Amino acid sequence: MKDGLISTEHIIMIVTATIIGTLARVLTIKEDFRQYPSYPNGYMLHLVTGFVAAALGAFAIPALMTKNFTAVTFLTVAIQQFRDVRKSERESLKDLENTEYAFRGDAYIDGIAKTFESRNYFSLIVAFVTALTMQMIDSNILWVNIVIGSIVGIIVLYILKRFSKGKTIGDIAEVKIGTIEIKESELFVDGIYVSNLLGSDNASKMFQTEGLAVVIYPHEDHYRVALDNYGQRQAALFEATRTLGVKRYHFTRKEYEKGIIVITLVPIIKDIDKLVEAVKKTPLLESVKKSHAVMDTNLVGRE
Amino acid sequence: MGRESTERPNYEILALVTLQKERVLGGKQLTLLAQDEEQQKTMVQDIAKAMKADVVKMKNGDYLVLRI
Repeated sequence: MKDGLISTEHIIMIVTATIIGTLARVLTIKEDFRQYPSYPNGYMLHLVTGFVAAALGAFAIPALMTKNFTAVTFLTVAIQQFRDVRKSERESLKDLENTEYAFRGDAYIDGIAKTFESRNYFSLIVAFVTALTMQMIDSNILWVNIVIGSIVGIIVLYILKRFSKGKTIGDIAEVKIGTIEIKESELFVDGIYVSNLLGSDNASKMFQTEGLAVVIYPHEDHYRVALDNYGQRQAALFEATRTLGVKRYHFTRKEYEKGIIVITLVPIIKDIDKLVEAVKKTPLLESVKKSHAVMDTNLVGRE
Repeated sequence: MGRESTERPNYEILALVTLQKERVLGGKQLTLLAQDEEQQKTMVQDIAKAMKADVVKMKNGDYLVLRI
C-alpha cells in the first residue's frame, strides 16, 4: 500500500512548484489590471486558473520520476484549458462592448485574450522549471532544494515577463497636448479637422470649454503602419475614455500627410496629464506589429 | 475620412431642418421647414434631445440630426 503513495520529497516538490507557479500568476495579474474586465471576481477567476496551470506544471516531473509516462499527457488538457481561458476572456470582453464608453475593438480584445492565455503558460512553465530544478539539485537538505528551486522559478518568471512585455504607443510616438478650436461648428485640433458633429451651440460651447485633446506624432514614418491601424487607434481611444470617462463626444482622426493621430473627447475628469499618460501607455497590438522595430522583445536591454 | 473595412459606423439621418421650401424633399428622414433661424435651432435641439442624437450644421444653413 505504501508503494502506491507519493513520497514526501515529491509532495514537497509539487507544493513548492505549485506555490511558485501560482505566485507567477499573482505577480503578472497586476500588470493586466488596466485591461481587466471585472474586479474582484475576474481577478479571482484568473488566480484559480493560474493555480491549476501551476499544479499541472508541478505534477509533470513527479509523474515522470515515478515512470507514470501516460500521466504526462494531461499537459494536453492544460493546453485545452488555456485555450478556453482565451475564449472565455474574448467572449466576456465582447459582451461588454456595448456598455463601454467606446468600443475596445476586435483587435484589442484579441490581444487581451492572448495575453491572458500566455500568462497561464507562465504559471505552467515556472512551476515546471521549479520542480525540474528541485529534482536536479536533489540535495539531502530539504531547504536547499526548496530555496534553489524557488530562485530558479522566479528567474524564469522574470525572463518570461521581459520577453512577453509588449511595447506601447509611447515607445514609438510622441503624445502631445492638442489645442481645440471650433470654427463654424467644425472641430479642429491643432489645425486638423476632426468632426462637424458639433452643430448645436450647446455642443460647440461644451467642447470649447470642457474638451481635451491629444495628438500622436510617430517618431518614424514607418511606425504609421501600426499607428494608422484602426484597431490601434480604437484601443487608444478606449484607454482614453476609460481613464477619464466620457461626458459627451469622443473622436479619433488621422491626418494623412504626416500620419498624425488626434484623440479628443469631453471627459468627466478633466485631467490632461492623465489623458496623455493613458494614450502613451496604450499597448501596441500584436496584430498590428508589422515592423521589426516594434517586434523586438524586451528580453535584452531596457524594460 | 477613409473607411477601413473594420470601421462601420451606423450613421442614421433622423431629420433635416431647412429654411428653404424647395429643399423639403422625400426620403427616409423627417424633413421640416422652419420659419426663421431661431425656430430652426429650437426645432433641431428638441429633436436631438428627444432622440439622443447629434447635430450637424451644414454650410448651406440646413441642420441635420443624426445618430451614430
